[in-house]
Formats: sequence, C-alpha cells, structure tokens
Amino acid sequence: MVLSFFTDLFQQDFMLRALLAGLILGVLAPVIGSIVVIRRLSFIADTLGHFSLVGISVSLFLSTLGISIFFERPLYLGILFSVVGGLLVELFRRSYKNYKEISMVIVISIGAALSAIFFSLSKKTGSLYNYLFGSILTITNYYVILILITAVIVFALFIIFGKQIVAVSFEESNAKMLGVNVGLFQFLFMIMLSIVVSVLLESVGVLLISSMMIIPVAAAMKVGWSYKSTTIIAIVFSELSVFFGLWMAYSFTIPSGAAIVSINVILLMAISFIKKIRSRKLVKKEPITNESAE
Amino acid sequence: MQIDVHNLSFSYGHRTVIDSLSLSLSSGDYLVIRGKNGTGKSTFIKCLLGMNPVKNGMIFYDHQDINYFKEWTCLGYVSQKFEDFNYEFPITVNEFLSVSSLRKTSQSNRLKALDQMGILELLNQNINNLSGGELQRTFIARSMLNDPKLLILDEPTASIDKLSTEYFFKAVNQLNLQGVTIILVTHNESLGHLNYSHVLTMFSDGTNTFQTRDRCDLSEVDF
Repeated sequence: MVLSFFTDLFQQDFMLRALLAGLILGVLAPVIGSIVVIRRLSFIADTLGHFSLVGISVSLFLSTLGISIFFERPLYLGILFSVVGGLLVELFRRSYKNYKEISMVIVISIGAALSAIFFSLSKKTGSLYNYLFGSILTITNYYVILILITAVIVFALFIIFGKQIVAVSFEESNAKMLGVNVGLFQFLFMIMLSIVVSVLLESVGVLLISSMMIIPVAAAMKVGWSYKSTTIIAIVFSELSVFFGLWMAYSFTIPSGAAIVSINVILLMAISFIKKIRSRKLVKKEPITNESAE
Repeated sequence: MQIDVHNLSFSYGHRTVIDSLSLSLSSGDYLVIRGKNGTGKSTFIKCLLGMNPVKNGMIFYDHQDINYFKEWTCLGYVSQKFEDFNYEFPITVNEFLSVSSLRKTSQSNRLKALDQMGILELLNQNINNLSGGELQRTFIARSMLNDPKLLILDEPTASIDKLSTEYFFKAVNQLNLQGVTIILVTHNESLGHLNYSHVLTMFSDGTNTFQTRDRCDLSEVDF
C-alpha cells in the first residue's frame, strides 16, 4: 500500500499536483495561522470560509441566470466575498471592542445563511460537498499556480512588513505608539487572510480551514520556546499532516481534507500527551528541598 | 523634551476630570504626578500619549501641537499592567525587544537595556515563563530601547519587588541625568527616593496644583 502510494505519487499527475499544492499550503496556513492565534481570532478562518462560500454559491447562481463569467472560476468571487467578510468582521469588532467573537458569529451567520440561499437557488447543491470538505486530489494545474502566486505574495508581504504585522498582533497599543498605522496593517492582514482562506477552501473545504491553520500552531505552542521556533515547528507539523494525510486519503479512499486534519489532530494529541508525561516525570525527579519538606 | 500644557480640560460626559491644567517642563525635568484614584492621573497620561483627543486646551511637544505630532517613537511608556499584550504565545525577550522597535536595534542595544534593568540573563527566555517582576522589568527595558526623550511611567513599580524597584529608579535617574524628561505617576505618599523637579497634585474635583522643587544631589538618593 505504501509502495503503490509512492509509485503513484510520481507517476500520476493528480497525485503530484495534490502533493505540491498541499506542501505549499502546509507552509502558508501555519504562517498566517500563528498571527491569527496571536490576535486571538482563531475563529476567523471559519468565518471567512463561510463568506467565501457565499461567493462560490453566487457564482453558481449567476450561471443559472446565464452569467457564466465566474462559473469556471468561482474562486474569484469566493476571494472577493471573503475580503468583504473580513471587512465586516473589522467593522463589527469596532462596535464590540471587548467581545471580538461576537463580530465573527454575526458574519459567520450571514455567510452560512446567504450561501445556503444561493446554493439552493442555483439548484447545484451537489457540488456543496466538495466545498464543505475539499478535494485536494482533484485540483488542476491552474489551482496549483494560484496557490503558488498567493504564497509568493504573502511571503513577500511578510518579508517587507513582518515586523509591523507581528508588533500589531502582539500589542496594538504599543504598535500605535511606535507610529505603526494599526488600521492599515489590520486591513492588510485581513486581505491576506481572506485570500489564503479562499485558496484553502478548494483543497480542505470550508469546515476544515480553521483546523489546517490553527491546529499545527496549537501543537507547536506546546513545544515552541520562541516565536520563530513555534512557527517553524508548526510548519513541520503541517507538512507532516499533508504528506501522511494524502497517503491516508489515497490508501483508504477517504476525503483528503479530513485525512490531513485527522493527522493534525493526532499530532496535537500526541504532543499534549508526551508533554504531560514529561512534566510529570520532571515533578517526580525534583529533589525535596527543606522548604517543601516543611 | 520640552512639554507645555495650556488650560487642558477633559470631561467624561458631564463629569470634569481635569479642569484647566497648565504646566511647563523643560528637557531633563522630572515630574511626579500624585493623587488618589479617580483624580484624572491616567486620563492626563492618555492625553499626553495621544490616546485621549485634546479638544479643550493644548499640549505641545517641543513647541509642536500634539494634534500634529508625529514623532511618537521619542516617547517611552511603561504602565502598571499590559493587558493588551498577548502573554501566551511563545516569544523570547530578545524577539519581543526586536519587534518593539521599528528602528533596527542592534543586539548590543537590547543587551544594554536589559543590563540596565538587571535582567540580562533573560535574553533568550520565553516571555510566558517570566515572573510578574521580571516581566515588568522587561517592559521597562523596552521603553528605554528607543532612546526616548520623554519617559512616561504610570505606576511602573506597583507590581514588582524592592530590588527591581531599586534597579528601576536607578535606571530612571540615569536617563534623567542624560536629559530625558520623566513623568511619573505614583500612589506612593513617600517621594523621598525620587529626585524629582516638579510635582503635580490632582484632586477629585478636577483641580490641581503644580509646584517646582529644588533637586537634591543624586548621591543622597536612598531606596
């Protein structure tokens, strides 16, 4: 089973495309995910994913009206709606400053309702499954190039503005004092996030986007000792999940997005378990001092 | 840094917190602000930091109206608590200091700031493993990193021990001697250990008194 996976990986184009796309997303998702976690907005990928789904459902609905411009590439409207969703989150966040999660619940509700309405109107609910759970094994060359371009843009922005993005994410008030245009960087990050979420939608599906972005970071936080090490560890976990997830999807004929996320979850649980065991051992090994004896 | 405050008033709704506050500080001055809770000390600090918009009255930094002031990096600020900061995500003290200054700070600058606060050994420590006192000293080191012309300190030693407090005030005195203007908010009635030049006392009805004081020789300062 393992041998045939490796043989097909290099002989079948669809497998190679899936692996390539997965490996790029495996770097992109945790890099963006770490900033999302620092900003305590872990729920946002789900929110934007739902709004991206509105764009896709609108594309399908428009095609039933004879406007087929977005039918072949529904992702374009997906990205546009995801950006709109991101802006709505920022807008609602200003009304509920101390309750960031409320803004996301409002936007996710609007997204879920609108996408259900437009999918229903388009009478193409059959494709809904793919968008909910993703299908990285069926992606095209065009999609791989799109992911690559997205990755290049995101990494270029990180190289140029990384310090400002990290400063704003860790402590908004200090970034303001340093003269950073906080609003502009929040907007820039929201646009980056919206695009990444939309790109992830086709491969892992709307219901699993958050997991792909957040779970590797959550696992890495348990073992990382610095921002840099945590991000690198998250990327390693993410890449392992992509590789073994693809193997699982291929071997057991299960949805690829679900397989990748399952490996992510297994890694998180294993890390948590090992850390717990190690901390117990350390407590046992610690010598009894006079103070503690008293 | 020269600071001029003219007839500053600030209200929350109908409640006047600051009523016609005027003061003037020159480079190297050391102002202590005292007053009970609710007398407008933090409100005044927020006005100075540009967080509260100044509508009644005026504030000038080096003769420049605060509403048009752009060089905020000249200001260092240390508060009692940093509630806005995310302490849970791993980040080392070194990384924290590096992203806290948009100017390219050298490693030696960061080491110097940590050394001034007596926490050089924390350089590669994860911030979420630090004690409250160590964390506060790290924030204080950060405020020194940008070579501030004005250092605003809002009860910075409220949550740290005596030794850290001692390190802190020694470092502040040192900076003050180098010409940095200091504004320190304190609840502490005893100001014996501070080598201040001015004191502003704020009252709950919004009024205030501003006095100048002869400074003592630094060698007399006892912690």
